[in-house]
Amino acid sequence: MSDSVQGDDSRLDERTGDQTREVSLELDGLTKVFQDDEGDVVAVDDVSMDIYDGEFVVLVGPSGCGKTTTLRMIAGLEDPTDGRIVLGGRDVAGLEPRERDVAMVFQNYALYPHKTVAENLEFPLQIRHYPSDERKSQVESVSELLGISDLLDRRPGDLSGGQQQRVALGRAIIRDPEVFLFDEPLSNLDAKLRIEMRTELNKLHDRVGKTSVYVTHDQEEAMTLSDRVAVMNDGELQQIAPPQTVYDRPANLFVASFIGEPPMNFFDVELSPVQSDAGLRIVSDVFDLLLPEAMARKLDSWDGSTDNLVFGVRPEDVTDTTVADETFPPETTFDAYVAVVEPIGADKDLTLAPDADAPEEREFTVRVDADTEAREGDVITLAVDMAKTHVFDDETGTNLTL
Amino acid sequence: MSGRTGLDRYRREQRLGDALESPYVVHLVLFLAVLFIVAPLVWELLTSLKTNDAVYNFNYFPRNPTLESYYIALFERGYWRAVVNSIIISSASTVVVMLLGVPAGYAFSRYRFPFDNLVFVFILFTRLFPPIGLVVPYYRIMTEFGLLNTKLGIVIANVYLWLPLVVYIMRNFFITIPHDLDEAALVDGCTKIQAFRHVILPVVMPGIAAGTILTFLYSWREFLFAFTVSTDLNSMTIPVSTFLFVGDTSVQWASMAAAAVVATIPSALVVFFFQRYIVVGLTGGLKG
Repeated sequence: MSDSVQGDDSRLDERTGDQTREVSLELDGLTKVFQDDEGDVVAVDDVSMDIYDGEFVVLVGPSGCGKTTTLRMIAGLEDPTDGRIVLGGRDVAGLEPRERDVAMVFQNYALYPHKTVAENLEFPLQIRHYPSDERKSQVESVSELLGISDLLDRRPGDLSGGQQQRVALGRAIIRDPEVFLFDEPLSNLDAKLRIEMRTELNKLHDRVGKTSVYVTHDQEEAMTLSDRVAVMNDGELQQIAPPQTVYDRPANLFVASFIGEPPMNFFDVELSPVQSDAGLRIVSDVFDLLLPEAMARKLDSWDGSTDNLVFGVRPEDVTDTTVADETFPPETTFDAYVAVVEPIGADKDLTLAPDADAPEEREFTVRVDADTEAREGDVITLAVDMAKTHVFDDETGTNLTL
Repeated sequence: MSGRTGLDRYRREQRLGDALESPYVVHLVLFLAVLFIVAPLVWELLTSLKTNDAVYNFNYFPRNPTLESYYIALFERGYWRAVVNSIIISSASTVVVMLLGVPAGYAFSRYRFPFDNLVFVFILFTRLFPPIGLVVPYYRIMTEFGLLNTKLGIVIANVYLWLPLVVYIMRNFFITIPHDLDEAALVDGCTKIQAFRHVILPVVMPGIAAGTILTFLYSWREFLFAFTVSTDLNSMTIPVSTFLFVGDTSVQWASMAAAAVVATIPSALVVFFFQRYIVVGLTGGLKG
């Protein structure tokens, strides 16, 4: 009855990112075009990625970026316009969802309201005609795993959001599918519960170890849950990499601006050669900074136009020099006017401007130590951790300093 | 100054509002409404307990209550067969309408197909004709197919009359059920038909109950088409037989009232026991 493919026990630790692992799910040139009254809308545009056995990949992006459509195509709820989906070594194009060996957790849980929790959990097995004693023992072990054993006789309508979420997870886990699909499963929970469930999902994945594709618009969720983050925008895959890599080495302007909170600051800059050596200075009306040698070399080797360059600095890579113990070389510092000071506990967020009269769109944000004595209206000297900055080509968005 | 008088006026309006919302006024209005609706029914019931000759006496309550009129209607005239016909026709109509209307409503709520909205509007549009405008073609068609004086002929009319309504009601019910449920069932291992049967159908059960009851009630009381094709007791329904007490020279009021009471009882019972479903059916939601 079951078409479930048993997982390969020789699977290596998914956290190591070992390339010898088997590919569990392969997307190849996946494209979806919707017909709209105004014509064709490209929801997903030529997305390709390999997801390894046991890996947890999070698709993240702003709403309308195509992440949910991608997930729905993997599930078989949406037919791709073009491209291939290979699941467990099988091209699943044209197969119904039930033939694909996937399980899915929906944003609104989608529990069957007329069935009890036990019946909900059991349904995927029941419809496949599993023998009743096997169904029972599976329901027992899954409900124990999720801590919902005492809810089995209740109906979904009598459960809290968090409990419903667990039942939805249980219904997905019970069948041992090739891949789990999650469609923003935590977005309907309140903030505190969301963080709790996030931690629990993490533990659950460590224990169950199934290939998972998870869709969210919440970058924090993406960073904390994933082995790799796939950032999408406008239907296109922007970057797929481990969360720290996406943060440290964003592939382009979009990824840099989307990942990180508060978001990365961007400045229009020009390059200016340094006479004495091969260094490069990066100049705007706010600052004049020296790029580290490694970055300068990469910029040198780029043969495109340097007319439209954007310099990116994360708020947390800037230090208030007045309260720091160390001294900073002058070619990494600049002065700015303090417009707003916002204490957030361990740190303070400062909204800065080139000068007191600068328009709002030229303001930028830095996150400095809470010891800072900066007051609104002050002019302070800040130091930039230059090795962590990036230079982008504004035309293509490409990060030129990777 | 003007602020002062404005405030006075506001207070006057408040007092008037309070008076109108007082329990006495509200109950008076309700009482009048109930009287307006119930009085004819009570009169009918009282009349049915008189003899045909006693109807014209100047008293509302029967002097000697008797079931004679019921005997005349049901047995002397043999209209018990009309009751049986009504049960058969209403039940058959309801089954056919639900078997066609539920899947149709589901399809309209879930699937996009060429001209789907146009088709749906067209289904509703058929019910915008005054039915009497269709009586002549209906009669001609029934004659052609040899369906005069048959129950099948009346069932066909009922299906025509009530199917659009049920398609509309059921579509509205299905729309309130999130698509996630269908999709969860598909991913969990159902075919589309299994998803419909195991997941959607049980959830929409109150809607199906409402549609069933409404169709039965409407079919039960349908008069025009049944009257058009029925001249004998092979197919005559109870509302039609009630009308036959209107003679060329006189109306046998008591017997007519008796037949009318017999016609009303099943509807009254259905409404009494299933009022909850009728309300959800007419308001078209599954909440609460």
